[in-house]
Amino acid sequence: MDEQTRISRRSLLWLTAVATTAAACGDAGDDAGPPEATVPAPSPTMSTPASKLSGDLRILLWSHFVPSHDKWFDQFAKNWGKEVGVNVTVDHINNTEIVARTAAEIQARQGHDLIQYIAPLSQFEPSVVDLKDVAEEAANRFGEQLELCVKSSQNPATGKHYAYSPGWVPDPGDYRKSLWESVGLPDGPTSWEDLLRGGAEIKKSKNIQMGLGMSQEIDSNMAGRALMWSYGASIQNEDEEVVINSPETVAAVEFMQRLFKDTMTNEVFSWNPASNNQGLIAGQMSYILNSISAWRTAQEANPEVADDIYFTPALKGPKTSLAAQHVMYNWIVPNHARNVDAAKEFLLHYTANWPSATYHSKLYDLPAFPRLVPQLNGWLDRDPFGAKPENKLGVLKNAIEWSTNIGHPGPANTAVGEVFATFVIPNMFAKAARGELSPEQAVADAERQIRPIFDKWRRRGLVGGV
Amino acid sequence: MTERSLSPPRGSGQGDAVPPQAPAPVDLRVRRRFADRDRLLAWVFLLPSIGYIVALVAIPFFLAIAFSFSDVTAGDPSFDWAGLRNYQNVFDDPVFWRSLRNTIVFTVVSMALIVVLGKVLANILIADFRGKWLVRFLVLLPWTTPVALSTIAWLWLLDSVFSPIDWVLRELGVIEANMYWLGKPDLAIGSVIVVHVWRLVPLAAVIMMAGLVAIPKDVQEAASVDGAGFWRRMFEITIPLTMPIIAVAALFGAILTFTDMAVVYVLTRGGPTNSTQVLASWAFFRGIEGGDVGQGAAIALFLFPLLLAAAIAILRAVRRMDVS
Repeated sequence: MDEQTRISRRSLLWLTAVATTAAACGDAGDDAGPPEATVPAPSPTMSTPASKLSGDLRILLWSHFVPSHDKWFDQFAKNWGKEVGVNVTVDHINNTEIVARTAAEIQARQGHDLIQYIAPLSQFEPSVVDLKDVAEEAANRFGEQLELCVKSSQNPATGKHYAYSPGWVPDPGDYRKSLWESVGLPDGPTSWEDLLRGGAEIKKSKNIQMGLGMSQEIDSNMAGRALMWSYGASIQNEDEEVVINSPETVAAVEFMQRLFKDTMTNEVFSWNPASNNQGLIAGQMSYILNSISAWRTAQEANPEVADDIYFTPALKGPKTSLAAQHVMYNWIVPNHARNVDAAKEFLLHYTANWPSATYHSKLYDLPAFPRLVPQLNGWLDRDPFGAKPENKLGVLKNAIEWSTNIGHPGPANTAVGEVFATFVIPNMFAKAARGELSPEQAVADAERQIRPIFDKWRRRGLVGGV
Repeated sequence: MTERSLSPPRGSGQGDAVPPQAPAPVDLRVRRRFADRDRLLAWVFLLPSIGYIVALVAIPFFLAIAFSFSDVTAGDPSFDWAGLRNYQNVFDDPVFWRSLRNTIVFTVVSMALIVVLGKVLANILIADFRGKWLVRFLVLLPWTTPVALSTIAWLWLLDSVFSPIDWVLRELGVIEANMYWLGKPDLAIGSVIVVHVWRLVPLAAVIMMAGLVAIPKDVQEAASVDGAGFWRRMFEITIPLTMPIIAVAALFGAILTFTDMAVVYVLTRGGPTNSTQVLASWAFFRGIEGGDVGQGAAIALFLFPLLLAAAIAILRAVRRMDVS
């Protein structure tokens, strides 16, 4: 194919319309009918409850970016209910509405028995059931839980498992191979310096920019953290003390200034979560940080571009190479839940069937208990859903080695959650990139916002450190 | 209602021998009595509105006041007294001051544009021309479309890469590269104001149309006969006579802009770098998404005194005009 995919204006509009519809306020969705799966779906297993169950179980969860997952999940949950004598109701809502809905239900002290979200729900800790027993039972049955999932569901300051995380989604780099080949990097960038050099050359020669957001949205939050960690910087340390104002953070911000100047445009300050997906699918981006869902959407919307999209692990920085998880599943059982036993049993049954969750999400959802999905590496090497080449997702086999939770190196605590929700980190990078503040000032400004947030939650006993 | 109507029906005039038809008149009397009790009826008709206002405005308002002095969080609804700590934290937050300033700027600029453009549009819509009703219908569409939906349409129009506005401007040779309407603070602020103006001008126009058609035609005709031109009639007759109506349109525009968070939330989520954040959106991000309900309530409450002051000022002005 051409280095820069040429498409007509009509095609462009059609593609972007498809992408946006699929993206649906959060991510590029994917209802790719074709291509057909090349391997059959895993057989379901039945976990017998420890005690007799009855009554109703109301479940609230997001509308998955891969709709085939929801089709499977709804039937799966109902089948389980029939087997164990529980009347199961499943409600899906847009992921952007789940936090507000959960807050409303907790204030009203009524609502669903089980709620799932795609990021840590640590702010609800005082009003949810401790799921330590579920986590321990899952570890007994399925082996050790990944550390990033533990750190995103357990509060070390209180010892409470405010949530249960049976799965997660990595956040690799998505790059256009044909573009990066032209700058001597056929396997894409492997370091942040590669990204700067290659991205600058591509922008200069092809007028195609890179897509690292610095906007008030989730993907920008992830990108900023990945860069910070790779430079040895972080918001908090292992003891949950604020350490953002460091030479390492300043160096990361300085790098972002150069990266913006040489490879991006003001577009990145206006992005919403779907923007980088749309740009990639329309052939307008050389590299973005995102899950595989953008590419899955392109498989149907723009196969030519899809075949040209490849993946890289986290980029190397001066200290390490780390990326944030793209999605971290958090299941909570609010204190008002009327059927706690059924909720806990369902979580264990759902976890036991994680091979189905991975399969029906088209390899989007990865397991927190790797032993549960022995076939995963085989699927990633030979994608059952039409990747060209079929081993395109092989880079995800060791995704856990370059992925971490959003509070790294500490836990994803309530303060980290509020810093995330108020976009302090993307704004820190953006202020320096736009020249509003120097890197030192931008970091100090971020610290001024972050410290009161940590102090506030620490006073409530939800955050450790001093 | 006359005294006669309250009286039971009299006999048919055939003498007292005819037995009265008792049941029907009693029912009718009861019904009439109920229908004629103005004070009771007034309460009955008002009750749904009062119930609505108490449930959806008064209770949340007092709840917000209580929350702002508490440590209530999204995850912990238990009420503990926090004194003025939330307000102290809010005052120390530069984003709050930015949001407050933006809220006032958006409202004042939007209100001015809404009044001017609403007046122009009203003048056009009361004129006689073929297809007037179709034009009126089309003009009203922005107001009748749900704000979230119309803002999503604007999100597409202002898209950083695929903006049709940019495309047109490029084709006309006005610009060379995309404008990034939502990626630069000044343009993003302008974009938010434009969307507010676009959606509220039709409402203002309809309100002003009601005022314009109420002006007696003979006043205008007399002025014309006396030689007053269009502008003179506009500034010396039309505007003074419709000023109370214009003030009401301005008040509606101000309130609907001041309290809105949908436009900012959908269009920019407060960015870039919080440059379009308003009180309502910042209260949501801090209180719901961030989990600090107490602080979110404290931020949201700043809407109240400003709105109250604006409403009182405008309504007083209207009253003075009425009296004069």
